[in-house]
Parts: sequence; structure tokens; C-alpha cells
Amino acid sequence: MTPPEGIPVAPEHPSALVPLLRLSQIERRFGAVEALVGANLEVRAHEVVAIVGDNAAGKSTLAKVVAGVLQPDAGLIEIDGESVQIASPAAAQQLGVATVFQDLAVADNLDVTANLFLGREQRRRGSLLMDEGEMEVTARRVLRDLGARIPSIRTRLGELSGGQRQAVAIARTLIGNPRIVVLDEPTASLSVGQTAEVLTHIENLRELGLGVIFISHNLNDVRAIADRVEVLRHGRNNGSFTGREATNEDLIAAITGAFRADGHLEAYRRG
Amino acid sequence: MSGGWATGSQTSLREANRAAILDSVKRYGGLTQVELVGSTGLSAATISTIVKELTSSGLVEVRPTSRSGRRAQLVTVARRVGLAIGVQVGTRHLRVALGDFGGEVIADQTLPLPSEHRIDTTLDRTALLIVDLLDRVGATLDELVGIAMAVPAPVDVATGLISVRGVMRGWDDEPVAQVMSKRLGKPVWVDNDANLGALAEATLGAGRPFADVLYVRASHGIGAGIVLGGRLHRGFAGTAGEIGHVQVDPQGAICRCGSRGCLDTVVGADALLAPLAGSHGALTLRDVMHRAMAGDPGCTRVVADAGEAIGAVLASAAQALNPQVVVVGGELAETGEMLLDPMRRELRRGMLPNLIAPIDIVPAMLGQQAEVMGALATVLENTDVADTVDRAATTREEER
Repeated sequence: MTPPEGIPVAPEHPSALVPLLRLSQIERRFGAVEALVGANLEVRAHEVVAIVGDNAAGKSTLAKVVAGVLQPDAGLIEIDGESVQIASPAAAQQLGVATVFQDLAVADNLDVTANLFLGREQRRRGSLLMDEGEMEVTARRVLRDLGARIPSIRTRLGELSGGQRQAVAIARTLIGNPRIVVLDEPTASLSVGQTAEVLTHIENLRELGLGVIFISHNLNDVRAIADRVEVLRHGRNNGSFTGREATNEDLIAAITGAFRADGHLEAYRRG
Repeated sequence: MSGGWATGSQTSLREANRAAILDSVKRYGGLTQVELVGSTGLSAATISTIVKELTSSGLVEVRPTSRSGRRAQLVTVARRVGLAIGVQVGTRHLRVALGDFGGEVIADQTLPLPSEHRIDTTLDRTALLIVDLLDRVGATLDELVGIAMAVPAPVDVATGLISVRGVMRGWDDEPVAQVMSKRLGKPVWVDNDANLGALAEATLGAGRPFADVLYVRASHGIGAGIVLGGRLHRGFAGTAGEIGHVQVDPQGAICRCGSRGCLDTVVGADALLAPLAGSHGALTLRDVMHRAMAGDPGCTRVVADAGEAIGAVLASAAQALNPQVVVVGGELAETGEMLLDPMRRELRRGMLPNLIAPIDIVPAMLGQQAEVMGALATVLENTDVADTVDRAATTREEER
């Protein structure tokens, strides 16, 4: 077996000590709703960070801030240690952040290749014609890198299973050579077999050296693949756990508030 | 389209096309002819001709199915007589393989598991994955003759109970076989993972030329399976070959089993990762393997030291059993000579040099598939084939 490309040879390059992405003290309100109140998050290369929390804990809002869909009211976002503004989804892509939202945003009437390149179609040099050959070659490569089980890249998305559609949505993030992939509830409403495939895809993203933010309700899935688990509660961080050591009890206690991280309640009182 | 064939002759082209179609069918479990066009890049006419050829030579089967409401022909690998399921419950992974009576793996799936996974969730997901795999190849539960499961703990095969307390937390005293058998209505056998790996390597893999084989499985924990005179030796209640619980350090850490300084506390996943935490940060066992192979000095050292520690224990085991060969499998074995070389040195140093048959250490041939293949073999061994053929024939008659 040969190690996949992109595995760093230690001693670790000093740049690996700077997180790929760092969010500090992110605030975001929707009128009276405090979606995020001083939330922090760090993601390193070659790391899967899971975000768990109750409904309305701020998980998806945080994902949208990283994806450039929402702008924070306050707070600092750093990529590679440099302060950045993620003003739009296009800006996020420029910065190497790719996102798969819960609704996948795939086009059922288009085939796999067209979906992978949606909005980023490659054109032949000096022509408006699409370079279909080149796109198909790339499509095959990213699906193979991911280990996706999709028999034909010319199948229309509407004909694929839920797990395969999720695989296409994840593969699409790889087209722009991103460094951070955000996955919002990728295993929700999938069968066990499809969940198995998606979790394996996420392990492969990590092995490709990417930083992955994995949002989920399923603590089993989270503990199976996350290096670190961050708990959000009412828009605040309420505990950070090592994926290998966290138990369901620890996580549930932090999610429901039976356990409170230092200062969590204090911060809540102060508003 | 895996290239690389000689260009030119019609025959070699045809051969290559046949291989491409068979590869695709095996990779996906079952594909319709239309999907085969997409996955191989061959024309519909070529697919149709070759599938007919492969069907008549008994390599694939075609059955009606539907794709998005339309009728289609599902092409699967031809199965001989019945289907068997092999399951490997690992420390961090669940692997389910569907095989036929020819010993061929038709489809398989891996699911990452959390550490200290719970028995109820894991068995439930196993059952659902089994049904999912059957569905993938267009088969039903009726065609399944049995299930064998490998677990990373010593098992009393007569009762299917784990015979040592604490090795798998929460799995003690649980009748795994009965639970699964009740759930799916099929016979279920449970055995130790290294035992099933040994069975597979001794009959199909690297131990095939030999009668006495010691198989070592170096993964999240260490275990061994013993094959003597071609037969698997489990011991009276399944604890034979548990080299992970041989004491190597009387002052060492307390092991999950309750003793002190077991080999597992020195070369188990936690023990391998702990010394790297300071210099390399949080890694997984896979990360350590990959980095060691990429030349990382710290990870290389951890693997080599593990080889040495395992080799020293193997020397005593091999001295007692005198096998012809030691086969090394499990995730750690993927690093090859990095692990095997120090292991070999310690093994030779610690035992009597046998002039007639010096012992050798070789890497496993079946890789991560060894345990599920051993499980499939167990189902085949324990099932009366003639009976199954009769029943299958009767069912087919009834269907008509």
C-alpha cells in the first residue's frame, strides 16, 4: 500500500501549527434571536471537527458564516493565521472553503458530471464550448479519490440513491481544490449502508489532507470519525472533546446543559 | 477503463473488455446493462454481447430489476448455491462481506465505528448493513444460508459468548449469536477475529503451503490464531493465541483484562499513539501507518518498536508450537518490513534455531479482508451444501 498523496512528512511543517481556519468570538443575531454569542472554532489540516448541539444551538449558522452565506455581526475569522472577510459564497470558494448544505443543492435533471461542475464549467481554450472531455476526466478522478460508488458519471442525479447524491455533493467540493470542507448533516435521512459510504468519504477527505467541519445530530457517526467534537449550546461553546475519548454521556450532558463549560452560565447572565 | 493492455489483436481487446465488465460488476455488486455502459465506457452492443458470453460461461447472472420505474437487466456475479455473510466487528470499524459458496466475495461495505461502541447499536447496524448488501446484489434474505462474525475478543464458540471479561466493554455475557440469529432468522456463528483471520490465511492466503501456521493480527489490539495440522486450534474455551495478554512488563500499566503489563498495553493502539501525542499531536492508527510509510522518523520508530515487542512474545509462542511459518496481518502489517524486520530478529533470537526448518515471518496476503473471508469460510464449513441445493431447488420450483 502506498500512502495517499498530501500526507505531510513530519517533523511537522511549522505552518501546520497555525490552524487552517480560526473563528473567534463570532456574534450573529436575527432580531431578538441570538444565534451565535461569542462562538469559537478551530480547524486544522487533516482534521475532522464535528459540531454537535440541540436544534437552534447555532450549528448551521456557524456553517453559513464559514461558507460566506451569512456575515457575522462581530468576531474574527482567520485563514492560515490571516484575518479575512468571507463576504459571499464565491469569496469562500476563493479562500478554499467548500460547503455541502443539508439540501445538497444538486440539479436532478443534470448528470453527475454537469452537477460536479455546476457554475464552474470548463471551457475549451479560446472558445465558449464546454470542454466535456476534460470535465469527465476530472469527474472520474474526484469520484475515485473519494471512493464513491457511482457506476456512471452520465447518470442523471434524479436516478441516484440518497447516499450517491450525497457522494456527488461531497465530490463537487473537491473540484475547486479546497482546503476546508463544511458538511451540514450529511448523514441525515440516509440508510445505514449509505451512511457507511458517506462516513468513509469523510475519512477519505481527511486522508487527502483537508480540514473537515462535520455537523451532525448522530453522536455515533460523530464519534466514529471526528478527531474533535465541539458542542454548541444557545450559540455558545459548551465543551470541546477528543473524538476518540468522548462518550455519548459526556456529549449529551454538554448538549443538554447538564454539564456546563466554565463560564458558560456566567456569559449567559451577562448576555 | 483500467488501461494497460496490449493494443492490436481482436482477441486481446475482447479479453480486456471482458475483464473491464467483470471488474465493474464486482466493484458495484450489481449493475444494470445501461450502468455498465457508463462505468466501462464500452458500447451498449459490446456490453450486451459480452454479458451474454459471461452468462453462458457461468461467470455472471442476469435478473430483471427496475431503475427509476423502468425495467432493466441487473448483472451480478454468478453465485454458487447460496449466499453467506462474513462480519468483522473491529475496534473502530465494522466490515460486512457478502460471499457465495465458491468463496468469492460479491459485495462488501465498511462502516467506521466510535470507540467503545455499544453492542445494541453495533448489532442493529450490522443487521441493517446485511440487508442492504443483499439488496445491492438483488438478493433476498431467503438466499442467505448463514452469518459468521469475528470479534476482537476470545470467544467460546460453543456458546458464542466472549470468554474473558472486560476485553470488549459492554459485550460481556451478551449472547451475540442468539441476538443476531433471532433478528435475521439465520444461523449465526461467532469467533475470535485472529482465529478467523488465521483460518483464511492458512487456507487461501500466505499460509497455504504449510500445515502449521501461526497468524498474528496486529491492529488496535494484538491477537493470534493457531492452525496446527491444518486445523484451527481455539483452546478449550477460546483463549488460545491471546498473545495480547501475555505479560511483557511486570511494572507496566493495568490492562483492560485486569492484569498488569500485557503486550496490548505496550503495542495496542492507545500505547502506540500516546508517545506521539507530544511531538505529532492527535493521530489515528491509520495516520501513524501512513506517516511511517512516508518516512516520518517518529512514526517509523513506533512501528519498529512494536515489531520488536511482538517478536519477543512470538518467540515463546513459536517455541511452544513450532509452526512452519508466522503470517502477520492487521493494519500494522501494511507497513511491511518496517514491522516484520525487527519482529523477525526478535523471533529468531528468542527461540531454538531449527536446522531443518528455520521459521519464517511473512506478510499476510488477504490484507483487511482476511477476517471476513475466514468468517465466510466458517459459514460454508458449517452448512450442509447438498441440503441447501435441494432447498434452493424447491424454492425455485415453488416460485414457478
